[in-house]
Amino acid sequence: MRLSRRTLLAAGLTAPLAACSTPQRRGAGGPVEITFWSALRGSQQVVDAFNSSQNRIRVVFQQIPSGGQGGYAKLSNAARAGNAPDVATIEYPQVPGYAIDGVARDITDLVTDRVKQKLLPQALKLTTFDNRVFSVPLDIEPMVLHYRADLFQAGGFEIPTTWDEFASLARTVRSHNAAQRLAIFPTDGGMQFACYAWQAGAQWFDTAGGKWRVSLADEPTQKVAAYWQRLIDEDLVFRNAADSKQHDAQLGQDRVITRLSGAWDAGAQMRARPAQKGKWRIAPMPIWDEQVVGTHGGSTFAVTKDSRQPEAAMEFIEWQCTHPDALTARLKSGTSSQFPVAPGLVEAGAKAFPGEYYGGQDIYRLFAQETEKIRDGWVWGPRMTATQKVMQDGFARAGAGSGTVIDAVREAQSGTMPDLRALGLSTEEGAR
Amino acid sequence: MRGKLACAVLMAPFFLLLVTVFLVPTGTAIWLSFFAADQPGLGFGPESTVFVGLRSYGAVLSDPTFLNGLGTVVLYCLLYIPLMVVGALALALLLDSGVAKLRSWAQMSLYLPHAVPGIIAALIWLYLYTPGLSPIVDLFAQADIQINFLGLHTVLPSIVNIALWSNLGYNMVIFYAALQAVPREVLEASVVDGAGPVKQALRIKTPLVRGAIVTVGIFTLIWALQLFTEPVLLSQSTPMISARFSPSMYIYDAAFTRNNYGLAAAASVILLAFTVALSYGVTRWTNRKAV
Repeated sequence: MRLSRRTLLAAGLTAPLAACSTPQRRGAGGPVEITFWSALRGSQQVVDAFNSSQNRIRVVFQQIPSGGQGGYAKLSNAARAGNAPDVATIEYPQVPGYAIDGVARDITDLVTDRVKQKLLPQALKLTTFDNRVFSVPLDIEPMVLHYRADLFQAGGFEIPTTWDEFASLARTVRSHNAAQRLAIFPTDGGMQFACYAWQAGAQWFDTAGGKWRVSLADEPTQKVAAYWQRLIDEDLVFRNAADSKQHDAQLGQDRVITRLSGAWDAGAQMRARPAQKGKWRIAPMPIWDEQVVGTHGGSTFAVTKDSRQPEAAMEFIEWQCTHPDALTARLKSGTSSQFPVAPGLVEAGAKAFPGEYYGGQDIYRLFAQETEKIRDGWVWGPRMTATQKVMQDGFARAGAGSGTVIDAVREAQSGTMPDLRALGLSTEEGAR
Repeated sequence: MRGKLACAVLMAPFFLLLVTVFLVPTGTAIWLSFFAADQPGLGFGPESTVFVGLRSYGAVLSDPTFLNGLGTVVLYCLLYIPLMVVGALALALLLDSGVAKLRSWAQMSLYLPHAVPGIIAALIWLYLYTPGLSPIVDLFAQADIQINFLGLHTVLPSIVNIALWSNLGYNMVIFYAALQAVPREVLEASVVDGAGPVKQALRIKTPLVRGAIVTVGIFTLIWALQLFTEPVLLSQSTPMISARFSPSMYIYDAAFTRNNYGLAAAASVILLAFTVALSYGVTRWTNRKAV
C-alpha cells in the first residue's frame, strides 16, 4: 500500500513526539545534540560512524518513510508546527519547493569554499537558486541501463547505445519471446520521464529573469514522448508501475530484461533480488546523438529553519557528504550504491561496494564516467511532487489506452500552474 | 424566566458545537483563502502574509484537475443518488407490503452494513476488488471472465457499489418508518377502489412518503459531494484514482502534498458553496413541484 494509514498516523503522531524529545541543547560541557531525519538506507550506520568519530556533536537519527510514502508530508507538517529536525533529507526535485516554503534554510554562508571545492559544481547548481544555496547534495545519480547479462548473452543481444538501437532491440526481444519485453514504460515514472526529457535537452523549468518559466511539453520532451508512445503503441514495452508487485514478478520471471534508473538503484536491486546475483551488469544510458545523460534520483541535506544549531548541523552534513568513512559506512550496509557528489570519495566507494552481485564489474568507474555526461542547466520546479503525480495519473491512463504520453505531460503542466499562481510566484508558460 | 434559562442551558451544547466545529473552521477557511504567505518573484525571499483577494479562488477555478474532480463527483451523484433512492424505496415498499417474510430479519441484515464504519467498508471492498487477493475476481477468472473492478471505466461504479452497500439499509429504514405513518384507511380505501399491491405502492404509498424521499435525496447528495474515504483507500490499489479524484481529495492534496493552504481553503469554500447552492436548488425545485 502506498499511502498507508499507518504512515499517515505515524506522520501525525511522531511530529508532536519529536517535539517532546527535543534534545537538551549544549549543556554543561556535554555534546551538542542535533536531530536528523532520513529515508536513505544505511543512514543509521553513517550516524553511528559520525557519533563515534568525535564527541562534540551527537546526532539523534530517525528513519522516516520515503518522501512519496509520507516522509515529505511528515517534514512539511513538522515544519509547520515548528518541530522540523535540524537536518532533513530532501531529494533534488523537492529542494526548490522546500526552499520556497521556508523549510530549507538559506545556508549560503554556512557552505564554505572548502566544502564547495569538494563537491561537483553541477550538483551544487541544482540546489542553488537565486544565488543562494539551500541544501548540500550527497549523491548524484546519472541514469544507467541495468541489464541482464545472462539473457543478453543467451539471446545474442547487443547492448543498445542509442535510443534507435534500444527500439530495434525491443522489437527483437519481443519477436524472440512474445512474453518477454526489453523494458517497461513505468506508469509511476514521472522522474524517469523527466530524466529522458532532461537528456534530450528539455528545460521544464527556468528561473532566468526572476520568473518561473514552465514549459513541460517543449520540443525535446515532445520527441521523447513520441518515442515512448511508439514503443507503447507497438506493444514493445510493458506499461505498469515500476514500484509494484507486478514489476517484481516481471523481473523475477525474466520477462523484463533491462531497467533504466539511477546509479543508486544498483544497491536497491541487490537488496530486492538477491537470487539474481551475478546476472546483472550495468551499461551507459542510451543516447540520442549527443553524449549526454540526465539524472534519476539523488538526495541532498538541508538545515531546516527550526534548527537551533545550524553550525553543528552543517558540520554533520559536510562529514556525510565529503568524508570517506561516511560513504564506506553506508555502502557496507550492503543496500546502497549511491554515487557521491564528492569526486574524492569515488575511490572509497569503489572499494567499499560489494562487487560480486555485478560479476565484479567496476560500476563506480562507469558511474564516474556517466556523471561527466550530465547535461548542464536543468532546473527542478517549485512543486515537483504534485507535478509528478499529475503526470503519472496521465501515464497510468495512457498505459490503459486512454490518452497519450504527451497528453499526460500537458496535464501535468496545467495542473501545476494554478498551484504556482496561488503561491504568488511570478510565472510564465511556454518555451523561451 | 426559568423557562428561558432552561431553554438556554439545553440549547447551549448545540450552539457550542455549532461554533466550534462549524463556524470557526468555516471562518478560518474563508480567512485562509483570502490571505497567503507570499514571496514575490521566484519565491526564495522572506515571506510576508498579505491579502490576496480572489487569487486563490481564481487558481482553483482555472485548475483543470479541480474541475475534473467536480465533474467526477457530479457523475458519481448522477449514478449513485437515483440508484440509492429507488433501491431503498423499493426495498421499503417490499417490506411494507408484507411480501417479504422474516421482515425484521431482512431489515436487520440490510441495515447492518451501515453499522460498519466507512473506512472499514472501503477496506473490505478493496480486498474484494483487488486482483490477486479477491476471491470474486478469482471466481470470475475461473469462469474465463476477465473482470477488473478497478479499471479506467469500472472504478466509479465500484465506488458507487460500496456506497450503496453501506447506505441502502439505512435509507430503507427511513422510508419504512415513513410508510408506517401512511394512514391505514387510505390504503383500505385504495383496495376498495380496486388498486392491486403494485398500483398501491406506486400511486398511493410513494406520493405519501414524498417528504422522506426529498430528505433522503438531499442528505445523500450532500454526503456524495464529499466523496473521499472510498476513493482514497481504493487509490492504493489502482492508478486510475488520481490524488485529485474528487474535490475533497483535491483539498487534501492541496493542503498536505502541495502544502498550499490558501489553495486548499479556497477549494473548500468553493465546495461548500457548490453544495449549499445545489441542495438549495434541489429543495426549491422539489417544493415547486409539490405546489
